[in-house]
Amino acid sequence: MNKVSTSIFLIFIVIVGWIVYLTNIKQDDSLTMKYYSVQELINKKSDISNIKLGGNIKPNSIEISEDDQLEAFFYVYQNQDSVKVYYYGIRPDLFTDDAEVVVSGSYSNNLITAKELQTKCASRYEGDLKNVEKI
Amino acid sequence: MISQIGSIAISLAGGLIFSSFIFLCLYKLRNDKTYLDISERSILSTCYCIFLAFFCLLNELLISNFNLQYVAQYTSYETPTFYKVTALWAGQAGSLLFWSFITSLFTVIYIFETLKKMENLKFNSYLILTFIFSFFIILSSFIANPFEPVSSDIVVQNGNGLNPLLQNFFMAIHPPILYVGFTGCTIIFVMAMAASISKNVSFDWVRSIRRWSLIVWTFLSAGIILGGYWAYNELGWGGYWAWDPVENSSLMPWLTLTAFIHSSMIQEKRGMLKKWNILLATSTYLLVVLGTFITRSGVISSVHSFTAENLGPLFFTFLSVLILYTVFWFLRRKTYLETDDKIDSFTSREGGFLYNNLILILMCFTIMWGTLFPILSEAWDGEKIYVGQSYFNQLNVPIGLVLLFLMGIGPLLSWKSTSYKVLRKNFLIPMSTSFFVGLIYFIFSVKYNFYVLVALMGVSFTLTSILGEYYKSLKKFRKRNSNIIIATYKMFMSNRHQNGGYLVHIGIVLLFIGFIGRAFESEKEFSLSPGEQIYFNNYIFKLNSIKSEARDNHYAFMSDIDVIDDKNKLLTNLKPEKRIYFYWNSDPEKRQPHSELDIYSTIQKDVYSIFSAYDAEKNLGYFKIMINPLVNWVWIGGILMVVGSLFAFWPNRIEKIMEWFNQIFIFFLLFIVIAYVFWPLINKIK
Repeated sequence: MNKVSTSIFLIFIVIVGWIVYLTNIKQDDSLTMKYYSVQELINKKSDISNIKLGGNIKPNSIEISEDDQLEAFFYVYQNQDSVKVYYYGIRPDLFTDDAEVVVSGSYSNNLITAKELQTKCASRYEGDLKNVEKI
Repeated sequence: MISQIGSIAISLAGGLIFSSFIFLCLYKLRNDKTYLDISERSILSTCYCIFLAFFCLLNELLISNFNLQYVAQYTSYETPTFYKVTALWAGQAGSLLFWSFITSLFTVIYIFETLKKMENLKFNSYLILTFIFSFFIILSSFIANPFEPVSSDIVVQNGNGLNPLLQNFFMAIHPPILYVGFTGCTIIFVMAMAASISKNVSFDWVRSIRRWSLIVWTFLSAGIILGGYWAYNELGWGGYWAWDPVENSSLMPWLTLTAFIHSSMIQEKRGMLKKWNILLATSTYLLVVLGTFITRSGVISSVHSFTAENLGPLFFTFLSVLILYTVFWFLRRKTYLETDDKIDSFTSREGGFLYNNLILILMCFTIMWGTLFPILSEAWDGEKIYVGQSYFNQLNVPIGLVLLFLMGIGPLLSWKSTSYKVLRKNFLIPMSTSFFVGLIYFIFSVKYNFYVLVALMGVSFTLTSILGEYYKSLKKFRKRNSNIIIATYKMFMSNRHQNGGYLVHIGIVLLFIGFIGRAFESEKEFSLSPGEQIYFNNYIFKLNSIKSEARDNHYAFMSDIDVIDDKNKLLTNLKPEKRIYFYWNSDPEKRQPHSELDIYSTIQKDVYSIFSAYDAEKNLGYFKIMINPLVNWVWIGGILMVVGSLFAFWPNRIEKIMEWFNQIFIFFLLFIVIAYVFWPLINKIK
């Protein structure tokens, strides 16, 4: 093989290797996260280091620490099931009872320690017209 | 009345584009050039009808005609005039018409400027344009019609108003500039397909499509950078790029177009890589359509998504047809696109360009894979997977660093082949500088980071390499001109294509300097009552007060924070605000909280402050402070990229510039005539 053919061959190997690597990203916890439902999570017996969970905040479950206002515990529920979440940090504006949230973090001893907390924003600008009068 | 004219103009455009198709068929059947000319006029008339519809919608927005659903949804009496104009692209229906408007603008330029010189591309260009226009006109007529009236049983007293997040100058200009880039890709696609179908991939064609590509690339780059600037200054999460699916959708065509601009240079110089270039040019537009599908289908959740009408299936069909058409013709023209000349050596300028292409495509594929992976995974085994920023950062950072070095290696290589002696001579200074900078960082850094080390070495290598090239050229000109300013001017003007390209590369190097700053970012969230202070990152943040007031369209809580440096000197005073838009609404769901941030920005670092929440009972403010080093280099780099690109493609001769001005002048004239005709009507309605 001449130099050009060798280079092309090496480039080909790199591309194939890269594609094979990309098809397996699901196995790599540092790159991807699996979405869980509350039910799926409570059925899991083992700890999970990297998860994303969606659900609604259980009404009257938000507890904010008296000592540190940034520290909060709350439950996320879906149908009859709920799971406890710990979050330290500034909470989003729409963080209230029954708000739809997505938390990401780790799961251990029936508790999610959330690194990220996002509330799902209701569609405010593509909805109904506000200032209307019926004829 | 005006809205009816707009509606009729869209329908008329539909009829005209259909007639264009009929005349194209007749031309093919009877081979009579008259039919081709009629078809051309039909397409031009379609464009003019779209212009008319566009100005009608603009008029309705300006006069607040709330009888139209679109106007009522995106503007109100309180919306400032400037944002009433920008409401044109705030929603689905308006943005689609705006898209057609810019496509029309480009089509008119393409017909008068490019096709005038390349007659043999006409038939296929018109056929593809007819298909593309038909799709967008169908959308604007039947699916998302901006002239749709409100329900007949209601009277709208005032519109909803524009989303406060969009009421920002940079947000106002970022989408249209990006749209210009996106729609410009239509012409590149049309040119590439028409040339390969009609077997006219000539030297003139390469030169022409390269110029189009540079123009489109400039707009795409400017749009992307402006989007980042808006996100950084308005959204309040402290970053400028979040690897959101829609951001990725704008980056993917940018990457393929960048690859095309480089590889088409090889075709221009040596007539090689025809197949590859056709693939790059066509896939750029296909990626634009894919991006539009992602934005408007809701298959992937994104902050940018439109939610009103689901255009997913339609865009998917459109994309599938385009892909099939491209693949079909590519396979049929494969033999024609073959070239005899082969690359002699990979240590040549062509080799450098090829590596650059490989890296750009690898990056594009990686981003596309990460963006589409959640859908693919769910379709494959039902598992919902989230691909976060870590995927994009971890995989793209190394690829980006290779690209950074390649930008410096390219100019050091000769065309065809580079001898070992030349290699050693050219690489000596950049390599030595790079190692020296790396060593300095390695010895003196407090917080060592491998990627920062490599990035610093790459930045110094590439900068030295490019500046070295400038220096070599300047030396030649200094021999003829003793005055350094004249010599520099003449050197820059002598080969604007290359020198502009180098400026773009320096801009990208500066971007990388900005990216390096991300490794040293730090942030803190805390709560303070007035009079309290907190120490963070060698600064004291002292909250002086929190005041509140009701303003025209929102209620604001205003904080007042002193930032004191380690020498106990007042550095700055920050005033981030917490605003509640639509606070008068009895339904809390309809209120819109928004954090208006305040940034103390210097060339070394930004002190970024966010007033996240306010507890009125305890008189307690929640704040987030971020120290973001080197962010300004991203904006400086972005500006240089755009300036460099403009410098590279700006017409050479003064007559050419005048010709361009004439084209622009015609459009302005058209605008003034329409405005003149409509003005009495506007006044009457007012």
